[in-house]
Amino acid sequence: MAQQRALPQSKETLLQSYNKRLKDDVKSIMDNFTEIIKTAKIEDETQVSRATQGEQDNYEMHVRAANIVRAGESLMKLVSDLKQFLILNDFPSVNEAIDQRRQQLRALREECDRKLVALRDEVSIDLYELEEEYYSSSSSLCEANDLPLCEAYWRLDPDTDSADCPSAPLLASPEPSAGGPLQAAAPAHSHTSGPGPTEHT
Amino acid sequence: MATYSLANERLRALEDIEREIGAILQNAGSRYDDERGTVILELSKEKTNERLLDRQAAAFTASVQHVEAELSAQIRYLTQVATGQPHEGSSYSSRKDCQMALKRVDYARLKLSEVARTCEQMLEN
Repeated sequence: MAQQRALPQSKETLLQSYNKRLKDDVKSIMDNFTEIIKTAKIEDETQVSRATQGEQDNYEMHVRAANIVRAGESLMKLVSDLKQFLILNDFPSVNEAIDQRRQQLRALREECDRKLVALRDEVSIDLYELEEEYYSSSSSLCEANDLPLCEAYWRLDPDTDSADCPSAPLLASPEPSAGGPLQAAAPAHSHTSGPGPTEHT
Repeated sequence: MATYSLANERLRALEDIEREIGAILQNAGSRYDDERGTVILELSKEKTNERLLDRQAAAFTASVQHVEAELSAQIRYLTQVATGQPHEGSSYSSRKDCQMALKRVDYARLKLSEVARTCEQMLEN
């Protein structure tokens, strides 16, 4: 068995008090129970009348039963204190609980990031197709001025604010191989994209 | 959650001890699944069954000694592992990383909902 380590005086004293409480409560339960059983014995010869002796035995049994209950409640309190002490000072368990929690959180974070990367890949494919469609469509050919992509989009809806560039779906750096007469204006579009500077981090 | 096995194992053992103490007090000598009455009740009868009485008294004593042994073992274990110092471990960093990942997911969901709404408007127009 490992040698007794030098605990701080308070912890050592506390654990010794737990031991003492345990011994005292168990002894109280056993002694009072034994005395109740002894008192149940009916004696033929008594110093007082039988009625008086009966009353005395009845009172004594009540007191001893109450002592058993008090000792039991004291044991319950001791178990509660031990639970609290265990939660605070059982370092192996606490370390394991912390490690498991970290692993769970790390796994969740990695799953979120993995799904976001997959989503990014899917959206980039769709975005490429949309850009292809836009730059090869007639709406992009009809513009006389070099408009930003967002402004060209919002021209279709006169009620919206054309000064802002909202998070339009076609905002990405266009492919250099995409055809169309506005190819020279395309690089200017990529820097006027929407409100998400941290989108592609 | 079944993952915190080591941490919960001793707490479960202490809860079992609590239940056993309650059973000891409630039945005062008989086992909790014994429907034949308590020791004191058996003593109060006109004609007592001595063998039953002996068996129940022995069971009561065994339960009390079992509780004492278990609690002594727990106190002995705590004497070995307790250091008197507070535990300074934390899972805060992992939790914060996970929160940021969830924030990223929420942001991506928000942006995709805006795109979907914009596409629907385009189709309606």
